[in-house]
Amino acid sequence: ILQLLTSCPLSRNYCVTTQFAFQENEIKLLTAEIERLKNFGCLGVSPSLEGLRDENAKLKYRLNFLKKSLQEERSKSMKSMININSCLQEIFGAAIQAAYPDLENPPLVVTPSQQPKFGDYQCNSAMGISQILLKTREQKVIPREIAEKIAKNIPANEYIEKVEIAGPGFINVHLRKDFVSKQLSSLLINGVQPPANGKRKKAVVDFSSPNIAKEMHVGHLRSTIIGESMCRLFEFAGYDVLRLNHLGDWGTQFGMLIAHLQDKFPDYLTVSPPIGDLQAFYKESKQRFDTEEEFKKRAYQCVVLLQSKNPDFIKAWNLICDVSRREFQKIYNCLDVTIIERGESFYHEMMKDIVKEFEDKGFVQVDDGRKVVFVPGFPVPLTIVKSDGGYTYDTSDLAALKHRLCEEKGDILIYVVDSGQSVHLQTIFAAGQMIGWYDPKVTRVAHAAFGVVLGEDKKKFKTRSGDTVRLIDLLEEGLKRAMDKLKDKERDKVLTPEELKAAQTSVAFGCIKYADLSHNRLNDYVFSFDKMLDDRGNTAAYLLYAFTRIRAIARLANIDEQMLRKAAREEVLVLDHEKEWKLGKCILRFPEILQKILEDLLLHTLCDYLYELATTFTEFYDSCYCVEKDRQTGQIVKVNMWRLLLCEATATVMAKGFDILGIKPVQRM
Amino acid sequence: MGLLMGEARNQLRWADGKTIKNEVDLQVLHLLGPKTEADLEKKPKVAKARLAPAEKQKVAVVENGDMGTETKSLLEQLRGEALKFHKPGENYKTEGYVVTPNTMALLKQHLAITGGQVRTRFPPEPNGILHIGHAKAINFNFGYAKANGGVCFLRYDDTNPEKEEEKYFTAIREMVEWLGYQPYAVTHASDYFDQLYTWALELIRRGQAYVCHQKVEEIKGHNPPPSPWRDRPVEESLLLFEDMRKGKFGEGEATLRMKLVMEDGKMDPVAYRVKFTPHHRTGDKWCIYPTYDYTHCLCDSIEHITHSLCTKEFQARRSSYFWLCNALDVYCPVQWEYGRLNLLYTVVSKRKIIRLVETGAVRDWDDPRLFTLTALRRRGFPPEAINNFCARVGVTVAQATMEPHLLEACAREVLNEQAPRAMAVLEPLKVTITNFPAPKALEVLVPNFPADETRGFHKVPFHQTIYIEETDFREEADKGYKRLAPGQPVGLRHTGYVITVQNVIKDVSGRVMELEVTCTKSDVAEKPKAFIHWVSVPLACEVRLYERLFLHKNPEDPSEVPGGFLSDLNPDSLRVVHNALVDSSVRSAQPFDKFQFERLGYFSVDPDSEEGKMVFNRTVTLKEDPGKA
Repeated sequence: ILQLLTSCPLSRNYCVTTQFAFQENEIKLLTAEIERLKNFGCLGVSPSLEGLRDENAKLKYRLNFLKKSLQEERSKSMKSMININSCLQEIFGAAIQAAYPDLENPPLVVTPSQQPKFGDYQCNSAMGISQILLKTREQKVIPREIAEKIAKNIPANEYIEKVEIAGPGFINVHLRKDFVSKQLSSLLINGVQPPANGKRKKAVVDFSSPNIAKEMHVGHLRSTIIGESMCRLFEFAGYDVLRLNHLGDWGTQFGMLIAHLQDKFPDYLTVSPPIGDLQAFYKESKQRFDTEEEFKKRAYQCVVLLQSKNPDFIKAWNLICDVSRREFQKIYNCLDVTIIERGESFYHEMMKDIVKEFEDKGFVQVDDGRKVVFVPGFPVPLTIVKSDGGYTYDTSDLAALKHRLCEEKGDILIYVVDSGQSVHLQTIFAAGQMIGWYDPKVTRVAHAAFGVVLGEDKKKFKTRSGDTVRLIDLLEEGLKRAMDKLKDKERDKVLTPEELKAAQTSVAFGCIKYADLSHNRLNDYVFSFDKMLDDRGNTAAYLLYAFTRIRAIARLANIDEQMLRKAAREEVLVLDHEKEWKLGKCILRFPEILQKILEDLLLHTLCDYLYELATTFTEFYDSCYCVEKDRQTGQIVKVNMWRLLLCEATATVMAKGFDILGIKPVQRM
Repeated sequence: MGLLMGEARNQLRWADGKTIKNEVDLQVLHLLGPKTEADLEKKPKVAKARLAPAEKQKVAVVENGDMGTETKSLLEQLRGEALKFHKPGENYKTEGYVVTPNTMALLKQHLAITGGQVRTRFPPEPNGILHIGHAKAINFNFGYAKANGGVCFLRYDDTNPEKEEEKYFTAIREMVEWLGYQPYAVTHASDYFDQLYTWALELIRRGQAYVCHQKVEEIKGHNPPPSPWRDRPVEESLLLFEDMRKGKFGEGEATLRMKLVMEDGKMDPVAYRVKFTPHHRTGDKWCIYPTYDYTHCLCDSIEHITHSLCTKEFQARRSSYFWLCNALDVYCPVQWEYGRLNLLYTVVSKRKIIRLVETGAVRDWDDPRLFTLTALRRRGFPPEAINNFCARVGVTVAQATMEPHLLEACAREVLNEQAPRAMAVLEPLKVTITNFPAPKALEVLVPNFPADETRGFHKVPFHQTIYIEETDFREEADKGYKRLAPGQPVGLRHTGYVITVQNVIKDVSGRVMELEVTCTKSDVAEKPKAFIHWVSVPLACEVRLYERLFLHKNPEDPSEVPGGFLSDLNPDSLRVVHNALVDSSVRSAQPFDKFQFERLGYFSVDPDSEEGKMVFNRTVTLKEDPGKA
């Protein structure tokens, strides 16, 4: 420096500046060198290591790709709709597994978000995991931290656009627009398809099940409606469904009925007796049974002869049953119910073997001449043979259970029976497990219980005179009320007589069914024509009206089905408007709703969903023009095809929902 | 040879390739006799097959100087029918264009879409930096469109996922704009991946492509065996191609190949291959990527390019270009080839530049000794100079190999018009004027362009203390030396004064440290023999002086440089002058601003400049170094 200073011909000042600049430069070089050394720059990466790194990256990429392809293949091969919720559960399951590999059964909670600002779905597992860590390992980790760790481990997927962590540890999921749009297109192209389902399974549904010679009453209404919907749901989900009407067609009452028949219509074997009113006939015989000792004795003989399958007695029995069958069928026709008859008599021959099986396995105790079976966990035993040697409901229900499991090979058995039968059925199911007919881990046997129907006074549903309400009368009143309503709204002036009639039945029976199905079946429900026919709120009337309106949108824009189908293949469904996006997501929740019902058998979820879909649609329709018209001339200026496609997708899903609920929409109403 | 083989293969599809080759070789030998040295030269082969007679004459390698002073503007050269290019929509009039039953309908449709406009594209691979060779492509494509009222696309050919980085994309666009062109649209080959995939399926369905499992090594080199999978059922290929897309095949285990023979006899070029590499733009959407052969013509077709201009290496791919468009019944553009522009004394390949950067021979991709476009910009070459250079090289189909001094001459021409004068002293010697006529500094007016004083003046201070070049003073003036020496006064540029040495101050070693001089107004003094430049109250700056990076014309040629290009580096290619001084008129100059430093050359402000320490690059000297010519 000294030399520099002295030798420098320039001013001292300039010299010092140069010197500083020189030093600064030196410092820069040294800092860079240190940086390089810190990053192992000195080691130099061996070529083989670099090669291995490259290969590793490629393998990872391929693995990811294969996973994606597998996912794609799974969903595509079935053309099925994707259950987004369960896909997200899978993804978060994997993320949690990766983040906390040694946690057993970590809680996995994924739900749709209630507000758009919380994304589309949210995973709320972090709070639960925090609790578990605290309890089982005494680790204090704040849920937010856990949420972050989970979020970091989310595997590559085609659903999620991004995730955000909010509040104490909610993971908010934003779905990818292109994914939702693609799913909607596929829905439009392939129609509403059930979620992918492995091997074809069989469901046996026991429902309706009235008694012969007794009128169907409002109590049977619930079992019939719920059972029918349940069958439709399982059929849609790809099950083979066996719909069984477990008729009460085999009991002591047939002795007195046959005895009375023989007295009243001695030539019943050749000439069909004109029993118009079986209920009155039943009352007459019952009165004789209670008052005439001789008649009573003969009635018992008749039972024995019937059970020994004496042809004359079988004939008489059939005659009586036929009368009932005709009455039942009227109701099934009204309600569009399909069911096969397999009453108690069907199992008669099997009961002997059932008893033997229980005896052979040492489950039978004899108590006061009765043969009883105690089932662990149930205080009251099953009586399988009475002291007089006859069989009971317990015996026939056991026989039916075994037949459905072992002969029909049902994978899932559903009993749509009122809650009053709960203990009885649970005991039967437990006995079936005890004796080894089924393993609940493999086969599902469920009692879909339901509450009673109440009148508007919140008491048991009766006529004004206090009688049980006959179902057929109720349906007829429904028809009348529906027509009144339609006329009130002056629909008779708009619709053709045929359309009016169609609207009437659709509304009447649709409303009765929907009113039943839209309530949690476990609760009692209040039967009110006024409420169910109201066209506002969560009613069939509202939904049917909304549906016809949606269907009319395309029609009024002169877009026919073929054009829609073509557009579905070619147009991309843009979901840029907030309401379009909301509606799109709502439509795609259909599979997850169905999945939930398949699990808990609570059909009101579907009604709630359809109602939500209809209101979401209204929001969309109110803020997004589907068809733009000239205000003056009313001429169509522009058709926003992708929005019409959204209408179409909504309608398609609603139609499928109606179909499952057993509601028939009409073209115009 | 290739053509013959191709033809033979087509006719004898199931015959053993090796046997055919032997037989054809034998017959050719009979016919033509043994190969001469001339036959072993590569270049003429390219021209053999398809050129029209008119073009044929132009095919020759133009060396420097041949082009002389042809200075027709590029636009003039490109305008109208000068090139014998077809009119939009009249593709079929081009020799060699393949007309199918659908051609006319497709051309009609094409015209409806373009409205008869000329459409070209500049399609660089975004995996490196543009160099002087690309400048020709840019000028040709953009220029041809501009000259004919058309449009030009900037299309990144990003089919290869391995090497693409964001910085390349932005740098390319920047360079195109720097040269003065605006792309009509910026597109990417990857924009069309979906369409390309759909077409690949269609190609399979039409029986024109198949999935092949030959290994890369098997189909390399001369006369590879034909694919045993060539005739597999369409359904099978469709399924396997789907499997390729799904990642079921490893890299190299399956390719999609097109059923055609190329000009050089190469059979069945690959259309798609498996690569487990994410793509810069499509992310992890694909694990199969299309090849150049498959992508290029289809992208041109999608964009309705009228003239697909490319360098002559691609002539061998012309037939596959036409074949593929026709196999899919899509609009088929016309491919036209032009000669490549090569520059002596440099390397432009990406890999070699990387080596130069890694070994520290150059600082980075834009080191002013390189001939990448960013380097040229940094060195101070104006874009007009580069465009003029391209114009002089011309748009002929000839391959041109140029010396850098021609480019430098172009730069001088432009800079002479553009770069204002300033004065700088590289090796300063302090001079004190003992009889300075004023107590403070005077102001001197210097014309920005002495040849045209209407372009203004700038002021520089003239103080008692000035600095001149050390080399402008000698203690003893020999014959022929005209500048300052004791007893030999010299004029100071622009001041109107002549100085005379009064006293020479030396240090102990006898080195001249400072001069004391007296000054005389030039109108009273005797006319000095010379005028020198000077600075007063100057700014300190760093000046970088550049020479050729390589010593030999063709550093890559092993016969010229047996040790490889890295052994050919010129040790004096960069000289940094740390303590240069420059007059204060350049104080507020920005990077890339250009000046003519009197008597020294053209200089450009380097982006390394900092507050208080400007850095200048010498673009070119004022005159061509006679040693270089």
